[in-house]
Amino acid sequence: MKPTGQAPATVSITSGKGGVGKTSLAVNLAFALADMHRKVLLVDGDLGLANVDVMLRLKPAKTIEDVLLQGQDPHCALTRISDHLAVLPGSSGVPAMVAPGSEKRSQLTDFLTCVMAGFDVVLLDTAAGIGDDVMWFNTFARHTVIVVSPEPTSLTDAYAVIKILAGQYGRNDFKLVLNFIENAEQGRALFQTLHQAAQRFLNLDPKLLGTVVRDPKVNQAVIAQTPFLHNTPGCPAAASVRQLARAVGALAADPAV
Amino acid sequence: MKNTQTAPCPLKDADCPVQAAYTELKAAYDLLEAASRIDALTGFFNYRHLLDALNREMERTRRTGIATAIVMADIDHFKKFNDTHGHDAGNLALQWVARTWREQIRSIDIPCRFGGEEFVIILPGTDLPGAIQVAERLRVELTKAPLKLDDASLPLSTSLGVATYTQKLEWPCVEAFIKAADQYLYQAKENGRNQTCYDQSKLTPPATGVTSEERDVLFSL
Ligand SMILES: Nc1ncnc2c1ncn2[C@@H]1O[C@H](COP(=O)(O)OP(=O)(O)OP(=O)(O)O)[C@@H](O)[C@H]1O
Ligand SMILES: [Mg+2]
Repeated sequence: MKPTGQAPATVSITSGKGGVGKTSLAVNLAFALADMHRKVLLVDGDLGLANVDVMLRLKPAKTIEDVLLQGQDPHCALTRISDHLAVLPGSSGVPAMVAPGSEKRSQLTDFLTCVMAGFDVVLLDTAAGIGDDVMWFNTFARHTVIVVSPEPTSLTDAYAVIKILAGQYGRNDFKLVLNFIENAEQGRALFQTLHQAAQRFLNLDPKLLGTVVRDPKVNQAVIAQTPFLHNTPGCPAAASVRQLARAVGALAADPAV
Repeated sequence: MKNTQTAPCPLKDADCPVQAAYTELKAAYDLLEAASRIDALTGFFNYRHLLDALNREMERTRRTGIATAIVMADIDHFKKFNDTHGHDAGNLALQWVARTWREQIRSIDIPCRFGGEEFVIILPGTDLPGAIQVAERLRVELTKAPLKLDDASLPLSTSLGVATYTQKLEWPCVEAFIKAADQYLYQAKENGRNQTCYDQSKLTPPATGVTSEERDVLFSL
């Protein structure tokens, strides 16, 4: 891949609550952006479970730790999927590296900065929860995407993540992606509720980045270990993700955002 | 500290005249280099070193997430002190403050003279509560140690402002960080001097849990 000369748009994908579709969306979003001829790096920040590997049936050769401990070429840790798409698989040693006060944090920053050069968009899929590693990826990224579903616990957890990132890390720019949405009215109400709480209590103005419908094809694709975007390109969720990809692509296009 | 060792003669000549001259020049250079970073009157680091060192500590905070604190201090009524007791006494007072405080700070702390009767002490790896503790210790110890001049005992006090740079990356540059501390120092003066001021709201960590009010709004769906 040739460097484009511009720093890539870094986008973290987080939710607080588990199982709301972060990894499914990150993977399919990566493919949709690659289909749009964007050079995409998908970083698996969910270090315990190595989600992305499983979803894409990858067998990563080298982990981030291998590279850092053995001083190998950082690019060894990347798995190339296509001309426009590469994956950086997760690694269980990363949480210790990013614990507050760890001197290794800077190594990881340097490492990511090195491997992401030349990409247009870097998507960082995070683990559930609000651990140090989740916060590290969220503060590393320029843009924070919060995935939220209509379940009350997803709503409160999404709000809690926003509150921590704003209160403790000084972040104030959040983009919401609504997942598992049944109809437009449900999506509207969900966005308004979260927006209202964020505005009233945190003085924030989170933006709606996209809405993804509930679609059984999403789960079928997970079982088939293929992105639904390619497994069933005509399904409603695929249409949602393509639209979401255009919104994310716009973040990369506009360096001022 | 500078490395004062010099390279050996590449020709392995035991009494190489070039080597001898080089060694001498190197020692002189190291002395000058150190002197250019030290305030001659107090022995604290000077403004130039303050900017360099604080830049490095802020970079460390960005990389590790560990906070950096600075304490900015100004001797109270120093102009009056000078007018009453003379400039020499004023200089002795500055030296006395530096000497008193040097015993109160850790070896990793970086004491600097900012200029005039103002000091900045960089506290690497220190959060706000820790820095307030240091500032208060400096203030209290100085009030316990008046300057002995001839037969007189001249009381000295200081006003102090504390600011921190944390993973929130509050300040875009060294100057902004120092200015923040300076504003709290100003507040300490306004409030009557001989005290320490800082951002009170930073002491109570922001609540992370979702309050019942917030819950009510979220559950209104
Ligand atoms: N739009 C959707 N419609 C139907 N099912 C979905 C949708 N999005 C995600 N799912 C399903 O929800 C489950 C959880 O998805 P996924 O693993 O992507 O969530 P996650 O947020 O990454 O979870 P974790 O927090 O464990 O990392 C999967 O079985 C997936 O197929
Ligand atoms: Mg996941």
